[in-house]
Amino acid sequence: MSALIYAGVRKTFGPTVALENFDLTLRTGELVSLLGPSGCGKTTALRIAAGFERGDSGTVEVNGKDITHLPAHRRNMGMVFQSYSLFPNLSVSGNVEFGLRTRNIEKNERTKRVAETLELVQLGALANRYPHQLSGGQQQRVALARALAVRPEVLLLDEPLSALDAKVRATLRDEIRRIQTELGITTLFVTHDQEEALAISDRVGVMSNGRLEQLDTPVAVYRHPASAFVARFVGSMNEFPGVVAGPNMVRIGKATIAVPSTAGLPDGSFVLVLVRPEDLTISMNEAVDASALGGSVTATTFQGASTVATVRVDHVDRMVAVHFSGAHSPAAVGDRVFLSIDTARALCEPHESRPHIHSGTDPVGH
Amino acid sequence: MRVQRKLRRQSLAKLGPALVVLGCSLFFVLPLISMARFSFQNVPMIRLGKSTLLDGWSIEGVKKAFGDTEFRTALALSVRLSIGTVVLTIALLLPTILWVQLRLPKARAFVEFLTVLPYVIPPIALVAGILPLKPHARWFLNSNYSLVPFYTVLALPFTFRALDAGIRSLDVKTLVDASRSLGAGWGTTLRRVLIPNLRTAIISSSFLTAAVVLGEYTMARILLKRTLPAFMAQYQGHEPQGGMALALTALVATTALFALLSLLTRKRGPRVDRAPVSMVGPTSEHHS
Repeated sequence: MSALIYAGVRKTFGPTVALENFDLTLRTGELVSLLGPSGCGKTTALRIAAGFERGDSGTVEVNGKDITHLPAHRRNMGMVFQSYSLFPNLSVSGNVEFGLRTRNIEKNERTKRVAETLELVQLGALANRYPHQLSGGQQQRVALARALAVRPEVLLLDEPLSALDAKVRATLRDEIRRIQTELGITTLFVTHDQEEALAISDRVGVMSNGRLEQLDTPVAVYRHPASAFVARFVGSMNEFPGVVAGPNMVRIGKATIAVPSTAGLPDGSFVLVLVRPEDLTISMNEAVDASALGGSVTATTFQGASTVATVRVDHVDRMVAVHFSGAHSPAAVGDRVFLSIDTARALCEPHESRPHIHSGTDPVGH
Repeated sequence: MRVQRKLRRQSLAKLGPALVVLGCSLFFVLPLISMARFSFQNVPMIRLGKSTLLDGWSIEGVKKAFGDTEFRTALALSVRLSIGTVVLTIALLLPTILWVQLRLPKARAFVEFLTVLPYVIPPIALVAGILPLKPHARWFLNSNYSLVPFYTVLALPFTFRALDAGIRSLDVKTLVDASRSLGAGWGTTLRRVLIPNLRTAIISSSFLTAAVVLGEYTMARILLKRTLPAFMAQYQGHEPQGGMALALTALVATTALFALLSLLTRKRGPRVDRAPVSMVGPTSEHHS
């Protein structure tokens, strides 16, 4: 069953189109993340569901009820905000109790639910503290408890982790997922952090310019991006400038490689071949792969769990990144190396003119 | 030698600010001391000097003024006008500033400009503007409470800033959204979220409004209302010593009011609103 449905929602702010023909369906109990760069319309979509904004056209339904014109306080939504939104004049328990009081729930039931919800977010011991006595992570937990206490039909999370430091963010992210799964509550999570979206979601919706570019499972979005935008936004991407050299064949420098599709482009068309760093294999020996691209290592960067080698590719004068697990790269700076491309998941993007040959730019397009 | 000169220069540089503070303090304190001596010492003015510093101190003058029934009536009227003005000011300004903050942020500069107008338009012009309407609004202008809207306008520069500072110190938009998402309508949001968190700003604004009302003379005089400042001016005509004593008492009371305000706003509690309190009180600014 569908819990939240956006149908053809359009929203403009003056001349700016924030959402254009936006369709999205959340199934009951699933967690869907809206991921995208700043200004892509993800927060607007969330605020329309919450009732803080009204779409210019289109409808929003929750559990079969049309809530398009329902004011925010009449929708049974729970929301956690990006900035700390606890009421400073109320204690932790007062904050959690707030929504229950507005619903005229009787005192005993309120007390029981506050205690239960605070236990759920593991903050039972801090019930009498005030917001200014809590850390950022604790404040967001209370905000989550406050949103959950009213037993909302849909939980809306508007970048709730972005104000927190990395470690607290990771812990709270897992906590949100645990609680969401435990309660089976339908959740819409807005974030610009791809790692967060991939880690926490049942499905990820990638947005660009007010449109949903792709809605799929995290694995599918990462492994099979629907567009070059999604490919670039989710994860890292290497870009090889090339020329179409036959059906599903592209010439990059002196090598010709097979790609899944050249999007029907005629021979001689200029294209960019997009390849994930982990789909590149580095070798010190040319003989391993006849279609390998030669290059030289210009830098190695230790990133904790992995190491990234930056390689300047011959003839196309392009820097690309290759990932290795562990602390050491098999190749050192200055080494001559050969790159084999696993083209099964490579994407071809047409270019109107010969792609500009960069040198010394960020190889992963960040 | 050079080192000694440098040290002397440094000492003088340190002494400079202290001298400025001392000079300013004397500028404010000396007239007050003179005022206090004139008001509370039963010594002919011509004999007031160093040798009579401790002679004849008495609060008879102020006691006599306090005993005057007209004084009590005037004080009661001023207190009622203060309360009325505070209520009207908060009722008008709080929703307006919140609305501007939430829905019309671009209009803020214009609203701020409007609130400054009472600074540049003299009170007499305000009253002169309404007098031609007197034949049509006699019922209104004859009432003592007709001063309330005028005082509300007069207090705007102070009250707007106190409330605005408080509101801007809160993330009002998020608090309102959070409250509404939890099922609260605008009334509940105002009552249970915004007003408690704007306590300091509301107190500041109320005290400043009260200070304006308790010090305003021109409007009361023109509209023939017997407010406290009007009574004091008239009383001073026939009882110079008692009138001065009253003025000094009013000044001390206003200062005490601000000290109390400062204390209330400094008290730390479960609030985030820390509206700066303007000590540039209007006190008896309008009292001629």
